[in-house]
Amino acid sequence: MTFVPATLLPLTVAIPMVFCAVLLATAHLLPSRVPDILALLAALAVAILSAVIAVQAADKPLVYWFGGWEPRDGVHLGIGFSVDAASGWIAAFIGLLYALTFVFAWGFFDRTHGHFHILMLLFLAAMVGFCFTRDMFNLFVWFEVMSVAAFALTAYHLAESSLAGAINFTVVNSLAGFLMLGGIGLIYAQTGTLDFDGIAAAVAQGGRSPVVAGAFCLVAAALMIKGAIVPFQFWLADAHAVAPSPVSVIFSGSMVSLGLFGLAKVSAVVFGGSDQVQGALPALLIGLGSVTALLGGWMALLQRHLKRMLAFSTISHAGIMLTGLGALSAGGTGGMLVYVVGHGLVKGALFMIAGILLATQASIDEIALRGLGRRIWPAGIAMALAGFLLCGLPLGALDQGTRLVQGALSQQGHGIALAATAIGAALTGAAVLRAAGRIFLGLGPDPGDEAGAPSADEREKANRPLWLMLAPCCILLAVDIVLPPDLIAHALPRAVSAFTHRPETGPLGEGPGWLPWFSVAAALAGAGYGLFRKRLPPVLVRPVHVTQSAPTRALEILHSGLIGDYAAWLAVGVAVIAAVLAMV
Amino acid sequence: MSAVTNVLPYAVAAWLFGVGLYGIATSRNFIHLVGCLGVCQSATYVLLLGLGYRWGSIAPIFYDHPPGTPAVDPVMQALVLTDIVVGATLTALLLVLTVQAYKRGGSLDPGKLRPMRAGGQTDRDRSSDRGRPAA
Amino acid sequence: MSPRIRVALLALSALILLPCAAQVIAGLPAFGSTIAQYGARINAITPEARHVANMVSAINFDLRGLDTLGEEFMLLAAITGTVVLLRGRRGEGMTGRAMHRPGRAVIPRSEATVLACRIAGPLTAVFGLYVVVHATVTPGGGFQGGVILASGTLLIYLGEGYTGWRDAIRSHWLDVLEGGGALLFALCGLVPMLTGAAFMQNVLPLGTFRDLFSGGLMLVENLGVAMAVTGGFTQLFLEFMEETREAEEPDEPGEESA
Repeated sequence: MTFVPATLLPLTVAIPMVFCAVLLATAHLLPSRVPDILALLAALAVAILSAVIAVQAADKPLVYWFGGWEPRDGVHLGIGFSVDAASGWIAAFIGLLYALTFVFAWGFFDRTHGHFHILMLLFLAAMVGFCFTRDMFNLFVWFEVMSVAAFALTAYHLAESSLAGAINFTVVNSLAGFLMLGGIGLIYAQTGTLDFDGIAAAVAQGGRSPVVAGAFCLVAAALMIKGAIVPFQFWLADAHAVAPSPVSVIFSGSMVSLGLFGLAKVSAVVFGGSDQVQGALPALLIGLGSVTALLGGWMALLQRHLKRMLAFSTISHAGIMLTGLGALSAGGTGGMLVYVVGHGLVKGALFMIAGILLATQASIDEIALRGLGRRIWPAGIAMALAGFLLCGLPLGALDQGTRLVQGALSQQGHGIALAATAIGAALTGAAVLRAAGRIFLGLGPDPGDEAGAPSADEREKANRPLWLMLAPCCILLAVDIVLPPDLIAHALPRAVSAFTHRPETGPLGEGPGWLPWFSVAAALAGAGYGLFRKRLPPVLVRPVHVTQSAPTRALEILHSGLIGDYAAWLAVGVAVIAAVLAMV
Repeated sequence: MSAVTNVLPYAVAAWLFGVGLYGIATSRNFIHLVGCLGVCQSATYVLLLGLGYRWGSIAPIFYDHPPGTPAVDPVMQALVLTDIVVGATLTALLLVLTVQAYKRGGSLDPGKLRPMRAGGQTDRDRSSDRGRPAA
Repeated sequence: MSPRIRVALLALSALILLPCAAQVIAGLPAFGSTIAQYGARINAITPEARHVANMVSAINFDLRGLDTLGEEFMLLAAITGTVVLLRGRRGEGMTGRAMHRPGRAVIPRSEATVLACRIAGPLTAVFGLYVVVHATVTPGGGFQGGVILASGTLLIYLGEGYTGWRDAIRSHWLDVLEGGGALLFALCGLVPMLTGAAFMQNVLPLGTFRDLFSGGLMLVENLGVAMAVTGGFTQLFLEFMEETREAEEPDEPGEESA
C-alpha cells in the first residue's frame, strides 16, 4: 500500500474522538494519571499529523472525501476535508497548544474520572475539523461541538460568577449557532449544495442576490460572535475570566481566533465571487475591527482581575486580526494567519502565568497580589516578556503578523485602522506590563484597604511544582520567538494564495518599522502612568483623569453582565452588518 | 399557490427568531430564557424544513412508494435531525447551569446573578443576591 | 441598561433588519416550488447505490456520516459536561447508591401503577428496539430509538421506586454503554481505512432493498448511535434525578479547588 498523505486527514479528527470514547468507557477503572498521559499523547499526535499534512499540502491542497463519496458529475455528494498549508499549520499550532495545556494542567483535574480530558479532547477534535472541512454544514457541526465542550468547561469551578459567565456564554453562542444555521439554509436554497467550492461557483455565477447577502450576514455574524467582535464581544470577558486557567488558555489562544479564521475562509472562498459581499467587507471588517481593538484595549487597562484583563486584551487583538482580514489583500490575510498563531502562543503563556498566580498565591487580583510575586520571579520574567511581545516588541511571530497586517493597512491608506492596531496593542501591553510591575516588582502605591479583592475569593489547586507549570508557558513564548521569520516570509505568499483560492501575488509588504516601537513606548508609558500616577504632577494627571472618566463609566455600564443587554446588542450587530451589506 | 403561502414559512421563521430574541432580551427568569432560546431555535427548524419542501411530494422514504417518486429534500431533514440534537444538548446544559446558579445565588433572575464585574459587586447587589426569590 | 433601552435597541435593529429580511424572503424560491439539486440527486441515486429505503438515514449514516459522528460526540460532550457540573458538588462517591432526602415521606405506590409500569416497561423497550433496528427502511433510527429506550428506564422508576431504579441502573455501565457506542461509531470510520477504503466507506455487503438488513455499515453505525444515546440519556435522567434527592446544604466549593 503506498502512502497517500490525504489518508491522514480523517485521523486528525478521529484520534482524539477514539481517545475520548475509550476514556469515557473505562475512566472509572483507570489509575489517576492515565487520562493525563492519554490526552497528552492524543494532542501530540494531532499536532504531528497536522504538521505532516501541512508540509504535504505546501504545493497543492490535500482533499479527502469521507465515505468515498467523491463528487459525481459536478455534484458534491459527501463531505470533504480540504487542507491547504495555512489550515494545516493552524491545526498543528492548536495541537501543540493543547499538548502544552495538558502538561500545564497535569494532575489539576485528577478527581474527575477523566471527564475534563474528554471535554478537552472533543474540543480539540472540533477545532481541527473546523479548520479542515470544506462543507458548510460540517463547519456548523464542528462549531457546535466546540461550543458545547466550551460551555461545560467554563462552568467547571461551579462558583456563582463562573455559572453566570457560562450562562451568558452559552446563550450568546447558541444564538450564534442558530444564525449560522439560518445562513446555511439560505445559501443552500440559493445554490443547491453545501460544498465550499460548489457554493462559490454558484455564487459567482448568480450575480447580485439578496439571499446570498443575507446568508453571508448571518454566517458572518455567527463567526464574529465566536471571534468576540464589537458589539458581540460581551460574552468573552465573562467566560474567559471565570473558566479554569487551562481552559482559558485554549479559549483565548485558539477558540476566538478560530472564529475569525473561519470568517476569513468563508468570506474568501465561499463568498469570494459575490461582488456585494466583497464590496462590503473592507468597510465592515476594518470599521468593526478598529473599534474592537480600541475598546478591548481600553477595557483591559481598567481591569484589576488579571484573567478579565487578559480576556479584554484578547478582544482587542481579535479586532486587530479583523482589520487585517478587512484589507482584503494577500498581506492582510497572511498577516492575520500569522497573527493567529503568534497571538495564541503569547496569550496562552499569559493565561498560564495567571494560572500560576492562582495556584501559588491564591489570588488573581492585581492590587492584592502587589509584590507577592517576588518569590516566583521566573514567572515575572515570562510575564514581562509576554507583555512586551503583546504590545509589539519587534521579535517573533506575533510581531511578524502585526507588521504584515499594518503593512496591508498602510498600503491601502487605512490610516485610522493603522493607528487603532498600534494603539490597541499598546493598551493591552500597558495593562499586562503594569500588572507585571506591580505583582513581581512591588511597584505602585501601597494599596492599604483597597487590597481586599472585590471579586469572590478564587484559587486553583496548588498540587503542581512551579517548574511544571512554568515550562509549557516558556515553551510557548520560545516557539513564538524562534519561529523562523524567513521561512514564514518565504512560504506565506503561496500559502495565502492556496488559502484564499486566489492567484499568488508578489512578496508581502510590511508596515512602517517605527510603529511597533511606538506601541512599545506607549505601552511602557501607559504602564508607568498606571503605577506611578500618585507621584506624577497633577498638571499631567488631571486632564487624563477628566477626559477618560466619562467614557470609562459608559463602557463599564455597557459591560453589564446582563444577558438581556447582550441579546439586544447582538441584534444591533446583525443590523449593522445587514446595513453595510445593503449600502453596497 | 398564492402569494401568501409562497413566503409564509420563511416569514414565520423570521418572526419566531425575532420574538425569541425579544424574550431573551427582556427575560426575568432563566427557565423562561431557556424556553425563549428554544423558540429561536425552532425558527431554524421551520426555515430548513420550509426550504426543503415541495408540494405533492412524499417523505424521502421509498418503502411504500417506489424509488423515483417525487420526494422532499432529504438533506434538510437530516440537517434538522442534527439541529434537534443540538437543541437537546443545549437545553440540558443550560438547565444544569440554571440549577446550579439557583443553588448558589438563590435566584433565577438574570439581573441578580451577574458574572464578576470590573469593580466587583456593590454592597447593594450582594445583599440582594443573598435574598431568596420573591416568588 | 434598563429594559426600556434594550427594547428600544431591539426596535431600532428591527427597523433595519425588517426590510432586509423582506428582501431576502422575496429572493428565495417560492415555498414548495422546488427542491435543491443536492437532495434531488440523493433521492435519485441512493436507493440503488446503498439499497436503503430511508434517505434521511442514508444521509446521516453514509453520505454525511461525518456530521453524525460529530453530532454523536457533541451529545457525549454535553452529557459529560452535565455529569461534571451536577456531580461537582455531590462528589463522585455519592452516585453509586440511591440518596435519600431526610424528612421526605416515602409515598407508597398504588398497585395499579406498579402493574401498568411492569407491563408498559418491556413493551416500551421492545418498541425502542424496533425503532432502532428499522433505521434503514422506515422513519426511525438509533437516535430516536435510543431516546425511547432511555425513557423506558424511567418506567422502572415509576413502578419500582427510586431505590429500585437506582439498583437497576448503574452509572458506570451507562458510561460504558455511552463510550462504547461512540467508540463503535468511530471505529466504523476507521476500520474501513485498514482495508484501503475511505473513512466510513460502506464496505460491508449492502443487503436487499427494503429488507431489515440493508445498508451494510449503516446498521453497525446505527447500533453505535443507539447505544450511545440510550446510555447518554439515561445518564442524564440519573443525574437530574439525583439532583432532586440532594439535601439543601450550604455550598461547598467545586471539587477541584483548594
